[in-house]
Amino acid sequence: MDKILVFVEANGEEPRKVSLELLSEGLKLAETGHFCVEAVFLGKLPAAVREKVLHYTEKLIHVTDPALEDYTAEGYAIAMAGCARETGAKLILGGATQRGRDFLPRVAVLLQTGIASDVTMANWDKTPLTFIRPMYGGRVLAELTFSTCPAIVTVRPNSFAMGAPRAQRGESIEIRADISSELVRTSVIKTEKTASRKVDLTEAELIVAGGRGLKAAENFHLLEELAQTVGATVGATRSVVDARWRDQTDQIGKSGKTVSPKFYLGAGISGAIHHIMGMDTSKVVLAVNNDPNAIIFKYANYGIVGDLFEVLPAMTEELKKRLRKQTDPH
Amino acid sequence: MDIVVLVKQIPDPEALVTVGGDGTSLTIEPKFAMNIFDAFAVEEALQIKALHTRGKVKVIALGNGKAMEVLRTGIAMGADEALLLDDEAFLDGDGYANAFVLSRAIAREHFDIILCGRQAIDDDRGEVGQMVAQFLGLPHIGGIVKLAVDEGRAVAEVAVEGGKETIETPLPALFTAEKGLNEPRVPLITGVMKAMRAPIARLTAADLGLAPEQTGRQGAKVKTLQYSLPKKKPAVQIIPGEPHEAAIEAVRILMEVEKLF
Repeated sequence: MDKILVFVEANGEEPRKVSLELLSEGLKLAETGHFCVEAVFLGKLPAAVREKVLHYTEKLIHVTDPALEDYTAEGYAIAMAGCARETGAKLILGGATQRGRDFLPRVAVLLQTGIASDVTMANWDKTPLTFIRPMYGGRVLAELTFSTCPAIVTVRPNSFAMGAPRAQRGESIEIRADISSELVRTSVIKTEKTASRKVDLTEAELIVAGGRGLKAAENFHLLEELAQTVGATVGATRSVVDARWRDQTDQIGKSGKTVSPKFYLGAGISGAIHHIMGMDTSKVVLAVNNDPNAIIFKYANYGIVGDLFEVLPAMTEELKKRLRKQTDPH
Repeated sequence: MDIVVLVKQIPDPEALVTVGGDGTSLTIEPKFAMNIFDAFAVEEALQIKALHTRGKVKVIALGNGKAMEVLRTGIAMGADEALLLDDEAFLDGDGYANAFVLSRAIAREHFDIILCGRQAIDDDRGEVGQMVAQFLGLPHIGGIVKLAVDEGRAVAEVAVEGGKETIETPLPALFTAEKGLNEPRVPLITGVMKAMRAPIARLTAADLGLAPEQTGRQGAKVKTLQYSLPKKKPAVQIIPGEPHEAAIEAVRILMEVEKLF
């Protein structure tokens, strides 16, 4: 049986959704009898996170050490590599999050093995395993395999489905990493929270994004209202971010974030390749633009050629009406 | 304050990319550019150099002859030296093989700081900087949007979800640049002319004492089995009608047909 370690991350008191997606996939794999899947958590583990995770895995390995108090790439890499060696893991899976993509390449070097980053599909039935990842902004797919062990793979959020938690509770063990402090040289001296966003764009299932067509920063309230109605996250194009209407962290595109939601609404966005590269794996795309020749219509499932200043509020209104009816049929 | 900057020549984002007949190769329109994130790295190196009276900026690229252009761009912007790691054996490597070769070349230099982009927008891997740091036994800070450098230490800011972190590190260290770090300068004509005449050093695998099994396609730990094109999306369905009508129909489709909310 091949052992798979799943690196689990938390966001505050919640496990990251992508971690639960990977663990859900892990539960399916464990059922085949070919794989044994264990979750690994490094550093401070909130009780609420542990509890949730234990219903998504048969075993949780909690690695502790003073050096893991804050996230550092060096500390996490040493801890993860150590865990992989001790458990004889054949595969390390992690979400392709900022953190996962930051430290797992170091683990690859420590273990003298390869890494496949931001993978969107796995062929679990192939021997050796193969993984698919997009390149050139999603215009090409590459099927990869490893010539060394363990394989290290970061997986794009929303690539695997998050299942329901199991009734059974897995076992939890704690191990000390024993990292000598001179091996971890970076230190976090300050953490500032500037905004509280509930869902990171890269993990969001529903995204509504705006471009220059919104005409002014204030007009983003049209998207905020629509977003709030359905629980979506608001994104933006590069030109809007460069114009300082929205924050850099809202940017979707080549030099911003790559997103993979179930639903993507692009309003007032022309569809320049830089932006398309960041959202082309969205499952359902609705484009709203005044210009019938806007390139974005080539990448959309549905399109409305019309004035977003009329379309967006009308959609919000209709959504509110229908969702109200759903919860209160009388 | 000596700074090494890793730069990559990539196909222009608008260049056409197609899959070769049997799926084992890619055909890419020959329009090239410097990886945008590397431009932030070069710019930051130049700004740091301007604040310290002594030191040099050296740009290093791994690639075949074409990669010369990105090195000349670095010099045109103001870098002092350029080095091309030029060998057939270096080509088609994965992150591991490329980082290994780069780290061997960098190890021959004196440096306080290594800067590179957080990701190359052709392969979109975002691995090399971190791996180079690990090969060289250095700390790294990934995705910096601000950097302040002092003797023997540096403080960087990284944007994290809903906030930012300030991280300190001793030097030498490696930093990967994120958008927002700076605005890369446009080379002046004097810089471009200097760059056209600048000598560019070249190193081969043999110069670095590396065997073919350690580099490029042979040295890669991750092998590419085949390339393919993503499934073509069906043509867009334009929802007709006045804005108000279309909006209502869109909601109906999203809720009843696509079952999204």
